[in-house]
Amino acid sequence: MKNRITELRAQRAWTQADLAQRIGVSRQTINAIETGKFDPSLPVAFRLARLLDLSIEQIFTDEQRSA
Amino acid sequence: MQSHDESQRFRRSNTTAIQLVMWTLAWAASLAAARFGPEFLWDPQDHPVSSWVAVVVNVAVGLGWITAFMRFLRALDDLQRKIMLDALAVTLGVGWVVGFAYFVADAAGLIPYDLNIALFPAFLGVVYLSAFVVGSIRFR
Repeated sequence: MKNRITELRAQRAWTQADLAQRIGVSRQTINAIETGKFDPSLPVAFRLARLLDLSIEQIFTDEQRSA
Repeated sequence: MQSHDESQRFRRSNTTAIQLVMWTLAWAASLAAARFGPEFLWDPQDHPVSSWVAVVVNVAVGLGWITAFMRFLRALDDLQRKIMLDALAVTLGVGWVVGFAYFVADAAGLIPYDLNIALFPAFLGVVYLSAFVVGSIRFR
C-alpha cells in the first residue's frame, strides 16, 4: 500500500520520531510504514488521519485498486 | 489531549516491559529455588513440604509471568507486536519440529546419548532471540 506520509511529515517539518510520538507508535513503525514494508492497522491509520487532518484515502492508496 | 493519550500509550508500553522483566527475574529465581533448594537449602526427605511449596510458588509465579507477557504484547505497537508474534511462531514451529524429530530419532535408537532436557528451553530461547533480531533487522 502506497502512502504520502514522508511528504506530509516533511510539510510539517516533523521527524519520524516526532510523528511516532504524536500517534503513540515507535519510530521504527513510522519508518516501516513510510518505506512500504508494513501496513498499519486501522486504529493507527485513523490516528494518523486525525493528526494530519486528512481522510485515510488522502494518505493511503490501494495499489491494487489504482493499478 | 490526543498527544497526551499517545504519550500515555508509550509510557504503558514501557511499564509493561519493566513488569515483564521483573516477572521473568522472579520466575527464574523461583525456578532456581525449586531446583536447588532440595539440594542445598533443605533436606527433601525431612521437609517434602518445602519442596512442594517451592514448586507451587514456581508455577504461581510462572502464571504471573504469562499474564505479564500477554499485557506486554497488548501494549506493543502494531509493528513491534508483529515482530514479536513472528518470532514466537518461528520458536513454536522449530520447537515442535525439532522436538518431535528428536523424539522419533530417539525411539528409533538413532541417538546414542541422552540429552539434558534443560537444554530444550535454552535452545528455544536462542531460536526466539534469533528470530526477534532477524525480524527487527527486516523492518529497520
